[in-house]
Amino acid sequence: MSAEEIAIVAFAQTPAVREYPDSEASMLMDLTNQLLRETGLARSEVGFTIAGSCDYLSGLPFAFVMNVDGFGAWPPVYESHVEMDGAWALFEAWVRLQMGDVDVALVAGSGKSSPGNPREIFPLQTNPYYAAPLGLDPVSVAGIQARALLDAGRARERDFAEVVARSRRDGMANPNAQVAKDVSVDALLKEPYFAAPLRRHDLPPISDGAAAVLVARGDRARQLAKRPVWIRGIDHRIESSHLGLRDLTDSPSSRLAAEKLHIHDGPIDVAELCVRFSPEEIVLREALGLRPSTRINPSGGPLCGHPVMATGLVRVVEVARRIRDGEARRGLAHAASGPALQQNLLCLLEGGA
Amino acid sequence: MAERCAVIGIGQTRYARRRDDLSLDGLVREAALRALEDAGLDWKDLDAIVIGKAPDALEGVLMPELSLCDALGAVGKPIHRVHTAGSVGASTAISAATLVESGLYRTVLTLGYEKQSEGNATWALGGGRSGSQGAGGSFAPWIRNYIRKSGAPEHIGWKVAVKDRKNALRNPYAHLQLKDISIEKVKESPMLWDPLHFLESCPSSDGAAAMVLTDSAGAKRAPRRPAWVIAHAKRTEFSQFPGRDTVRPAAGVECAKALYAKAGIKDPLHQIDCAELYVPFSWYEPMWLEGHLFTDEGEGWKLTDSGATELGGSFPVNMSGGVLSSNPIGASGMIRCLEAASQVRGSAGEYQVEGARIALGHAYGGAAQYFAMWIVASEPAPSF
Amino acid sequence: MSELAPASYTLEYPYTRTTGPVVGRFLTALRDGQILGVRCRGRVLCPPLEFDPETGATLLPEFVPVGPGGRVVAWTWIAEPTRKHPFQTPFAFALVLLDGADTPLVHAVQAASIDEMSTGMRVRAQWRPERRQAITDVYFVPEAKAREQRLEPGKGEVEMTEHLISLSYTEPLSPHRQRYAKGLLEGRFVGQKSPASGKVYLPSKGYDPIERVRMTEKDDVVVANVGTVVAYTVITPVQYYGQKETEPYIRASILLDGSDQPLGQQDIHDLPIAEFRAGMRLRALFRPAGERDVTEIDNRWGGTGSVIERWEPTGEADVPYEKIAEHNW
Repeated sequence: MSAEEIAIVAFAQTPAVREYPDSEASMLMDLTNQLLRETGLARSEVGFTIAGSCDYLSGLPFAFVMNVDGFGAWPPVYESHVEMDGAWALFEAWVRLQMGDVDVALVAGSGKSSPGNPREIFPLQTNPYYAAPLGLDPVSVAGIQARALLDAGRARERDFAEVVARSRRDGMANPNAQVAKDVSVDALLKEPYFAAPLRRHDLPPISDGAAAVLVARGDRARQLAKRPVWIRGIDHRIESSHLGLRDLTDSPSSRLAAEKLHIHDGPIDVAELCVRFSPEEIVLREALGLRPSTRINPSGGPLCGHPVMATGLVRVVEVARRIRDGEARRGLAHAASGPALQQNLLCLLEGGA
Repeated sequence: MAERCAVIGIGQTRYARRRDDLSLDGLVREAALRALEDAGLDWKDLDAIVIGKAPDALEGVLMPELSLCDALGAVGKPIHRVHTAGSVGASTAISAATLVESGLYRTVLTLGYEKQSEGNATWALGGGRSGSQGAGGSFAPWIRNYIRKSGAPEHIGWKVAVKDRKNALRNPYAHLQLKDISIEKVKESPMLWDPLHFLESCPSSDGAAAMVLTDSAGAKRAPRRPAWVIAHAKRTEFSQFPGRDTVRPAAGVECAKALYAKAGIKDPLHQIDCAELYVPFSWYEPMWLEGHLFTDEGEGWKLTDSGATELGGSFPVNMSGGVLSSNPIGASGMIRCLEAASQVRGSAGEYQVEGARIALGHAYGGAAQYFAMWIVASEPAPSF
Repeated sequence: MSELAPASYTLEYPYTRTTGPVVGRFLTALRDGQILGVRCRGRVLCPPLEFDPETGATLLPEFVPVGPGGRVVAWTWIAEPTRKHPFQTPFAFALVLLDGADTPLVHAVQAASIDEMSTGMRVRAQWRPERRQAITDVYFVPEAKAREQRLEPGKGEVEMTEHLISLSYTEPLSPHRQRYAKGLLEGRFVGQKSPASGKVYLPSKGYDPIERVRMTEKDDVVVANVGTVVAYTVITPVQYYGQKETEPYIRASILLDGSDQPLGQQDIHDLPIAEFRAGMRLRALFRPAGERDVTEIDNRWGGTGSVIERWEPTGEADVPYEKIAEHNW
């Protein structure tokens, strides 16, 4: 798909925490400095900068402007911003680098969910006339999706709990995880419902956090990293905003993105999926056709830490890390936006020279 | 690998204080359907959609690509949303152009919009607090400093305000249709933020603007004349730092330099036929003429004063009426890019600059810290 | 001094949405006790759309009454409703396929307990006694519990619907902002001096953005209470929801002696506008210690809360423009 070889040459993330005591910009500053240090690049050598964030998380129109402080804009820089997860910023950077005139891009995603009440903010993503006034929040929609899966015989409640138990256990090995523990499926199933059939543990934590990556073209990438992680392709697709027009037991947009990227042209050793609610893993595994040999969310995934607007980019970082460190050869990172996986992005990554 | 990008369809809504005849879906579709029709295409021909708008709090709709995707034929397609404050319309057009130029997407719909009558722009610009100074309140001190520094006479701002509103009378889409606009009327209108009078300030408008972009092969098949994207550039600087020049921001100068270098332009005032500049407050016309290197520092107001920037002048600026006549914030930058394209396609009707071959579209945003501009031409490889 | 309370603010606006012809018709019928779908290539879509969701073609709206009864196709039981939900006691959100419709709509079902809910159960629309021309005017109950209702039809067409969006945020002051606010309570301006550039920022954001260096408490510096007006405007207040100002006033940026960054957002109501000018020297007079309030200070906006009684001209000669030209903000 991509005529130009673009690789991730450095990456960094902050730990996901319940409340970060300083600004988003300060997180981004730390990450930017870390990436530049690691690659030895001067700020001026980064030809394009692009960030993802969401004003409504902090309740301030134009909040994103302050984040510019974090990655630096003096002397003036070529940069842009999407009001979306950093994974979509990565998409823009990857597209931009295809043109051949820019060699290196800095991509970031950041968000503090701690100041506001996400369950009250996110209904504003739904149809403004028919759904938003109902306060229809992502947890409620995830509950409906879970019910649809149970009714269709595609999952049992035990399957949800198994995703949670495995994820939270895997999170224990992840220094950036916020919530991680060893808990049994049976213990989880004893907990009361929160948005039935979902229980509190089927939901992601509320997190603050940020992630950033440096991407570079071809030979420049080989200069900057001993083991560049090549982006073989990025594709993203969206489904209807009207729940009644969607099949909540499937993820047709993920399926389509996977087809476009030919993800099964080779084995997928690792997949980091934006599983915000445990049933989403079941839907995605099926829609993406992931085989049992694919290790899913070894980081613990968003159930262990969900820095909104960075969560998708964190998935890219987690896959890139494992490829760089030789644990995997080929991996898939997934990002999602909107209620019940309405919009999905896939990023196919591969190691090698 | 770089592909060429051409604009083959443009569409706008009628701009108004309040488009009370439309829902949000209806607003964006009015512009998008016009652009598709102009391009001779249908929804199914689109490979990707890129939308942009100013802060979500203007309408109270979060991440609107999620709730508008159905209306824009985006289901099953890539759609994403750019947000770079007031410059967003132009940033969005540029983002869409790069999708085509990358060679990854053939035909892209790009759209900017705002239905700000649903909320309140001054409220949003003040972060929802009491005492908002709005945009004008932020720029007024810098405008005063420009006037002091340049020695410009006080009538320059009034002259721009009259010129752009007179141009708007030739534009059926423009919001303000002030048939009896005059220097006197501008002077007598209430002072909003000294030295800006009410009639020197942009309106608050609802509206949407859309373009269909495609590659060379697509441009060949298009039913109407394409506008070729020759170059684009963006630059950003901090809103505040010790020593910042807010009158002539460095990011604006750098952006223009990068744009002209990309286009192979050495003398923008003479090699570009006309420009749609983002002028929401009258004095920004002379300030951007200087800040984007059309004139030397201190000379911008003289160009305006000479009449050169009038519709019949040697360097027409804001032939469509500009932001001073229509300002749906999320669309305004897109409208500048669209109107530049319209000029070189020869489709600007009663405000057509005769023989326009090269046109510039521009937007700025935030604390005059975000800049996004493009140059379009009637030929893919124009000579200068 | 103990830690200051977190900054709290509410982002609130009563949005007014014009509906256009399709949502308008739907809400008009809803007001009058009827639910409508729209015909689209042989199917009935509810809620109605302006266009065919598959082809994008604009629909010539052919409205079809649906419901008021229907079947639950999927649901969730909300144990802890948010303040924005239609009910404040546990209820269900459900996809309801109304009789006559081919697509389900999402809405709320008021049932006594989770045990009353099941996929496939019949529900029926109920209208609220107080209606506001919005989707919230209706809700659903198990069919057996439904009451007969007679609604007086309203007059005219609904063309607008309102949504009061009110979101609350609470964020502890970051450490440097704490120290800044506490300094103000003590009658001092506390900025930070960059260890990299030596520039003094007031109020600081906790870093030097030019050098990309984080700053700490050891970088704190006290800046003088006296300075120069570097820029100002006179604001004629625009009336909008939440606006408290009514009379024109000055908003000025003042470069305090020792700072490299002007202190913005200084609202001045008591100096004659005609005499105000860039270059004039002013001194900050603080309120008496017990009357200083910093609750308005948060991590993003600058300003000085309600700490300064007023700015008073010092009587010194004005600073010439050239000396302050670089501080245009």
